[in-house]
Amino acid sequence: MNNLNSSATPAAGEYAGDEVSAIVLDPGYSSVRAGFAGEDVPKSVCPSWYGQIDSDSGPQYLFGENAIYRPAPNLQIKNYWGADGVVEDWDTAAKLWEYAITSRLTGTRASDPSKNGLNDDPKENGNGEAMDVNMETIENQEKPLEESPLLMTEPGWNPTKAREKAIEIAMEEWGTPAFYLQKTGVLAAFASGKASGIIIDVGASHTSVTPVLDGMVLKKGVQKSPLAGNFVSNQIRLGFKRSQPEIPLTPHYLVKSKTQVDAGSPAQAVYRTFDTPPTDSFRYYQEERVLTEYKESVVEVWPGPGRLSNGTNEEIAKSMPGRPFEMPDGWNQVFGVDRFKAAEGLFDANAALTDDANPRPKDEHTLPRLVQAAVQHVDADQRPILLQNIVVTGASTLLYKFGDRLNYEINNIYPSTRNKLIAPGPVVERKYAAWIGGSILASLGSFHQLWISKKEYEEQGANIVEKRCR
Amino acid sequence: MASGRDVRDMLGLPMGGDVQKGAVQKRAKVAAPVRRIQGVAREVAALYGERPPPVAVYEAKKAYRAKRQNQGPAKKWVQQPFINQARTDGLVLKHWRRKPTTAPAVQDGEDVPMEEGDNTEPQVEINGDYLKYKIEVDIPTFSDEEYEAHLRSDDWSREETDYLFQVVKDYSYRWAVIWDRYDYQPAHKSHLPQQTANSEASQALAALPFAPPKQRTLEDLKARFYQISAKLMKLRIPEMQMDAEQYATYEMLSTFNPELEGNRKLLAAALMNRSMDEVKEEEFLLAELQRINMAAHRLDAERAELRARLEAPASNQQVSAGMSSFTSSQALQALFQQLFQQDRSKKRASGGSGGPSRISLTTNDLIQTPSSANAQMSAAARRQSMATNQSVQTPIRTLSPQQEYRYNVSTHDRLTSGVTFGSDKLLKMRQAKSNVQTQKIATALAELGVPEVISLPTSKVSDVFEQLIGKVSKLLDVRKVREKEEGECRVLEQMKERRNSEAQNGHVSMSNGTSVEPQAKQEIPDSQEQTPGVDAEGEADDDDNNGADGVADADGDGDGEVEADAEGEEDDEDAEGEEDSRVPSETVSRAASVGHKRSASVLSQGSNKDSKRARK
Repeated sequence: MNNLNSSATPAAGEYAGDEVSAIVLDPGYSSVRAGFAGEDVPKSVCPSWYGQIDSDSGPQYLFGENAIYRPAPNLQIKNYWGADGVVEDWDTAAKLWEYAITSRLTGTRASDPSKNGLNDDPKENGNGEAMDVNMETIENQEKPLEESPLLMTEPGWNPTKAREKAIEIAMEEWGTPAFYLQKTGVLAAFASGKASGIIIDVGASHTSVTPVLDGMVLKKGVQKSPLAGNFVSNQIRLGFKRSQPEIPLTPHYLVKSKTQVDAGSPAQAVYRTFDTPPTDSFRYYQEERVLTEYKESVVEVWPGPGRLSNGTNEEIAKSMPGRPFEMPDGWNQVFGVDRFKAAEGLFDANAALTDDANPRPKDEHTLPRLVQAAVQHVDADQRPILLQNIVVTGASTLLYKFGDRLNYEINNIYPSTRNKLIAPGPVVERKYAAWIGGSILASLGSFHQLWISKKEYEEQGANIVEKRCR
Repeated sequence: MASGRDVRDMLGLPMGGDVQKGAVQKRAKVAAPVRRIQGVAREVAALYGERPPPVAVYEAKKAYRAKRQNQGPAKKWVQQPFINQARTDGLVLKHWRRKPTTAPAVQDGEDVPMEEGDNTEPQVEINGDYLKYKIEVDIPTFSDEEYEAHLRSDDWSREETDYLFQVVKDYSYRWAVIWDRYDYQPAHKSHLPQQTANSEASQALAALPFAPPKQRTLEDLKARFYQISAKLMKLRIPEMQMDAEQYATYEMLSTFNPELEGNRKLLAAALMNRSMDEVKEEEFLLAELQRINMAAHRLDAERAELRARLEAPASNQQVSAGMSSFTSSQALQALFQQLFQQDRSKKRASGGSGGPSRISLTTNDLIQTPSSANAQMSAAARRQSMATNQSVQTPIRTLSPQQEYRYNVSTHDRLTSGVTFGSDKLLKMRQAKSNVQTQKIATALAELGVPEVISLPTSKVSDVFEQLIGKVSKLLDVRKVREKEEGECRVLEQMKERRNSEAQNGHVSMSNGTSVEPQAKQEIPDSQEQTPGVDAEGEADDDDNNGADGVADADGDGDGEVEADAEGEEDDEDAEGEEDSRVPSETVSRAASVGHKRSASVLSQGSNKDSKRARK
């Protein structure tokens, strides 16, 4: 048994680790993950949605689940990500990221114990307070990341401007001594112990397929599509609207109390009333939370073989036992074949539910076509190697039977190669693969020569990120 | 223990060890019956009484961690700033390290913060642990002169070549990545051509901002890079002075063929993009192939097993039992005695009846082919038994002639030493004393369609062949005789003619003489026509055809006898062991007699049939 002794230093060559208390920041459309490198789970996960309350004195921002889940008048729920998978609102993004880091990781800086007010005599209370205020102003001037190098992740299609902006924020606003930017695809591959492979990342706003070779993204092969978790949510909404009778979608905050009702019968609940009703965006966000629950517990991907619309597959799906779901207001139902239809659009554009607001998705945006396109843009010699390491990550891949279907689809496209899907079982590893990969990378001793130091940044400017983080 | 006793022994001390040992043993004896049941409370164990239950329930032993040694006050850890030597910019990062134990630690609580500040700040550790990971790839370099002299290309500008080399270096020869990231923008370097625009218009043209960047394939990039590398390598080290490894590299670089490589990739891609049906077909074919291979293997294995079974000693229970019983020296001794006795009895027997038993002994010893071992043994034993008048106790198993024929058992009165090939024997038979005769035999055999090399020279075949050769030589002899006779006849006739002419009877005799000659001449081609048919039969069976001819009697008799002889010979060999020795001579003599008969008949018959036979 080789248990780590807290009083002994690990042997130098034992794990090639050299932890410098680096911070790994992995921002995504749905949540921002942050934590110390070397740990196995991000300590700080906070939603990428933020609350904004406009008032005369300027907008007030609310970050974190506790703040944005509470209904308040004029509370707008927004997201800093743009529709194309690139950060749009940099100011808020920086604030949100800083919140994610400081709220759980670094905290406010500890001050000298002789001056922090705890050891002061109560007699000198007045003076002490004055000193505290002084100290706080000094501390506020200090930058949050003075002590920790920062490893940030970015999507594979991040434009140069966004990358330069990221290093600017890290260096100038947060004062980090060293910085590095790495693609999520590479890090997700690292988390699975692979240096080469195809990374299929189905997130909230975007699905991306990234070929990675020897720890480097093959840029020509990077594919992205908007068919991801949010698309599935919209499909569910459409499905609810279409069903007869329409399925009501009531978020939690509206329900004061509920009573049990039979399946399918209308809900009997006492609803909350508000003086000034919360904004639409707040309601939408809260509805999303219910839909997330629905996705987690009900939605199922038709596992193949063939598509859901093929032959008798739909009949088979109908004959499978249904899954019950209860809405926050007590309405409940057993969902049969409908639960298969919500996610079918990810694989089969024809099967997607459409209306005016949700046009039919493009064929080339479906997952099999994305994989095909990504492989097609890679050198012919490397294709079989990549297909042997298909890493599946992103929270939307946790849909029930998603892996089975993906496996079927890929084997259908490439029947002659040995295709291997690597889908880690633990939910945390699937959801935070990119962060975990970053945690591994930033804690390696051999990685420290890659950091872009503050000195280098000052000498060469923000463009250094293009040269160094390839 | 033993060494201690030895020492005592050497030093002449009283054997105190014995006493100790005894004590130990006693103690052990005492301890043995009272086996403590582990993991059970003493009181519970007492309830078991004298005999503990056969299956005791043991609790998993509680594994306590070794008690922590108190090594004084807790060791301190500090955030040690360090410089990674692999970096050039002197970035100072901090990692947790054990606080170096300085000489007497000052135990002043108030001084602690100050002390920390003192200790950590000045000591910046220089960490070279990870220096070994700072690797840069070797890239061939060239000067401007070299480029101008050797490396110019119509397709590649100097700038693009430089860019290519830079990219190769950046991505350390990972060609797939290089090709992926290769994005040369000529416009980007437009300031350079401006300076050289006057001198090199072409380059300026190539570098014009509106010229679209060329789409280079991976093969193009590789070809350019390898070509330059090869040229530079040759410049640096002349081909003559390269060592094997360098030359191999050089050859590889200089023989790179982009078209071939491109085609290969196309094929590889096509292979990957096969449809499900094609893949299934291939799988099916592969499975089929495997099935066939497996069947072939099985067949081979079965054949090998069969062969092994034919060659291996018969699984005689007695023998195997005997073999296993001969493992001890006593058993071997007994075996030796037995063999010795047998040998002596044989010797006695040989003394009694002479010759053959000696031979039989050798044959008995020589027997190595196990398939016929039993039969041979029995044959030998039979012979022996005949010699020793049934004095030997081994039971004899007699085989019926059919069985002997079936099992291909043959007995030999005399065995030539060493191993000979059956084909050699056959070859020897073809040779006659004179060269002419040999050639004649060869032509005769060729006419019969007997091949030069007979593929399966079994004993039976060689027997038949021997007979055939005998016949051939006889016939050759007969022909010789006939030719001689004919010559004499001609001489005599000529003499007769002369006499007749002298006697003035020329006309009649002349007509007779001419009539005889053409007849003979006509007959000859006739006989030649017939020969093949005769040949075929002559080899295999008797000449039934010839029954119509006048020769039928003699011929049929002769051949029939020979056949009978051959059979009789086999029978003799099998059945009558002892008498074998005489058989061949008999057959020879009979064959000779047949020959005589035949020749006699031929002679008696006259020219026509005689010539036919002679041809044969």
